[in-house]
Amino acid sequence: MTLECRDLVVEYSGGGYVVRPIDGLSLDVASGELALLLGASGCGKTTLLSILAAILRPQRGSVRLNGREVTGLSGSALTEYRRHSVGVVFQAFNLLPSLTAAENVQVPLRAAGVSARRARRRAEELLGQVGLAQRGLHRPGELSGGEQQRVATARALALDPPLLLADEPTAHLDYIQIEGVLRLLREIADAGRMVVVATHDERMMPLADRTIELSPRHLEGVPSRGEVHLAAGEILFRQGDLSDLVYVVDQGDVELVRMLADGGEEVLSRYGKGEYFGELGPMFRLRRSATARAIGPCRVSGLPVSDFRRSLQQRNGV
Amino acid sequence: MAWLIGLRDLQWGRRRFAIGVVATALVFALGLLMSGVSASFDNEIDRTVGSFDADGWVVRGDSFGPFTGPATMASARAAAVRKLPGVRRADPVAVLRATTDTPDRANVNLIGVVPGGVGSPPGSARVLQSGRAAIADESLGLAVGDRLDLNGADFRVGAVTSGMTYFAGIPTVTVSLGDAQRLGLGGLDLATAVLTRGRPATVPAGLALLGSSDVKEDLGRPVRQAQQTISLIRVLLWIVAAGIIGAVVYLSVLERVRDLAALKAIGVATRDLVGGLILQAALLSLLAALLSVALEEAIAPAVAMSVEVPALTFLTLPIVAVLVGVVASLIGLRRAVGVDPALAFAGSR
Repeated sequence: MTLECRDLVVEYSGGGYVVRPIDGLSLDVASGELALLLGASGCGKTTLLSILAAILRPQRGSVRLNGREVTGLSGSALTEYRRHSVGVVFQAFNLLPSLTAAENVQVPLRAAGVSARRARRRAEELLGQVGLAQRGLHRPGELSGGEQQRVATARALALDPPLLLADEPTAHLDYIQIEGVLRLLREIADAGRMVVVATHDERMMPLADRTIELSPRHLEGVPSRGEVHLAAGEILFRQGDLSDLVYVVDQGDVELVRMLADGGEEVLSRYGKGEYFGELGPMFRLRRSATARAIGPCRVSGLPVSDFRRSLQQRNGV
Repeated sequence: MAWLIGLRDLQWGRRRFAIGVVATALVFALGLLMSGVSASFDNEIDRTVGSFDADGWVVRGDSFGPFTGPATMASARAAAVRKLPGVRRADPVAVLRATTDTPDRANVNLIGVVPGGVGSPPGSARVLQSGRAAIADESLGLAVGDRLDLNGADFRVGAVTSGMTYFAGIPTVTVSLGDAQRLGLGGLDLATAVLTRGRPATVPAGLALLGSSDVKEDLGRPVRQAQQTISLIRVLLWIVAAGIIGAVVYLSVLERVRDLAALKAIGVATRDLVGGLILQAALLSLLAALLSVALEEAIAPAVAMSVEVPALTFLTLPIVAVLVGVVASLIGLRRAVGVDPALAFAGSR
């Protein structure tokens, strides 16, 4: 049993411009492995989970579960995949408030055509596995966050899928509840399933067999400063690129351009000799929010953030 | 599965569901009352025309009909009609209006008949022959032996009938032809129609022969506009009921967008989700229809007019209500079908 993702690209437009939260991502998870998708908000963790759950289709790339391509599924094949191949534990749990814990666990079973009696038995068994054997008749509103999390996990495992996805499983829990959830996820992986967890919580790292960093934490060392000569119209960096250096214009002019969803572009600003740009990306580990292009022949100096801060302090006489 | 989720959701939002049922039931009950009033117009026409037990109505040629345009003719013309081929018996009647103040001031339909003749209510001959005696409809509120004032003249109630009204519930009082002539025709020996047993092929010049359907048309003319108005109101009431059901289902969908998204994301088929919502709409409609029958029974006695809901209406109401409920829920269903399962990944609880 393996999950293979290759060269995934997800792109969407919002506010008139194009965002690419996932750009060329590849990932492998084997049975019994717990993979951690780690990163800050907006880095594409949930987007990736949505792709693995066959809720979102990537623009490019493939997702294969046991060799079967997932991204092209539709109709009944898609429903079958969602029922039998993948279980999802949502960040907000998404239990139906009108149903008891046991009934919530029965929902995917009944939807898959399992008889009422067998569904009841299976729900009891799963709630027992997650330590909630005595809470089956309670509604979600009567359960703690941790208990709801476990009911949601039991529901995700109802049809015994080989792949379990968990979105921010520690987000709404206190440290005691977190411990229980971590143990449960590890046990589920150890039992032979593939478990993919999206989180921004780095405390989960020791739990994982592999960690996929989705934030643009690309600078293993300090990038070296350097001088760049550009011809007219030449691109210095593109919108969506990983950010490394802050640039100062030594000679000529550079413009920052935003690429729009309709294929057009919008000039945001122009920088001349002595002016700097592109400082927020490397400072906050964000991707480039615009493309930098030389207007005419020009020369720019690229500075690591620390050098840039120093030069800024010198310039301001601090 | 669909029924379980639908049913549990109803239990969960039982207050809103109950309000929806009661509000819809009230609208349905109003619709039933309207149907009952409209049907009573038709029924009283049938009863009135049937009570004369006549095969033909001979009226003056320039008359609209015996009820809405009574034109007088000499009672003696009945003799000529009696001689027509196909006529076994013919008697004059006077169809008039009168007023009374017993027990309250009211208009009445006054019918003068030859006691025991055509048009005379069965068994009424002895009552009417005694003179100054009347057969009054029970809607006047009088009992046998009570004094009845007609155009200022005293009569005695000799018998009481039921359901004998026309022109939208105005009670009918039957007296002898002679009494009717004294009350409304200045004591002249006139009649407004000659009723026949057997149907003549032709009638004398200046007269016209009307059948029962012509007479019913004549009786229904004054209430036709009222019936059209009632029909329009009934359509509006169905729209209001559909609006209530549609709103309840739509709100239910709006409240449960995240739930629906999650259910889709875990592989619950859209048809199952839609099935649950249709179940809600159907149940709401059905319960409202059943409750509306009880409400109609409770309200009808307080309505001044006769309310005669046809049995078929009671039988078809639940079916039509369920159909209307399901159609009304389509907007909500459409919203549910369009819910993006990706919403299930939204973070806040």
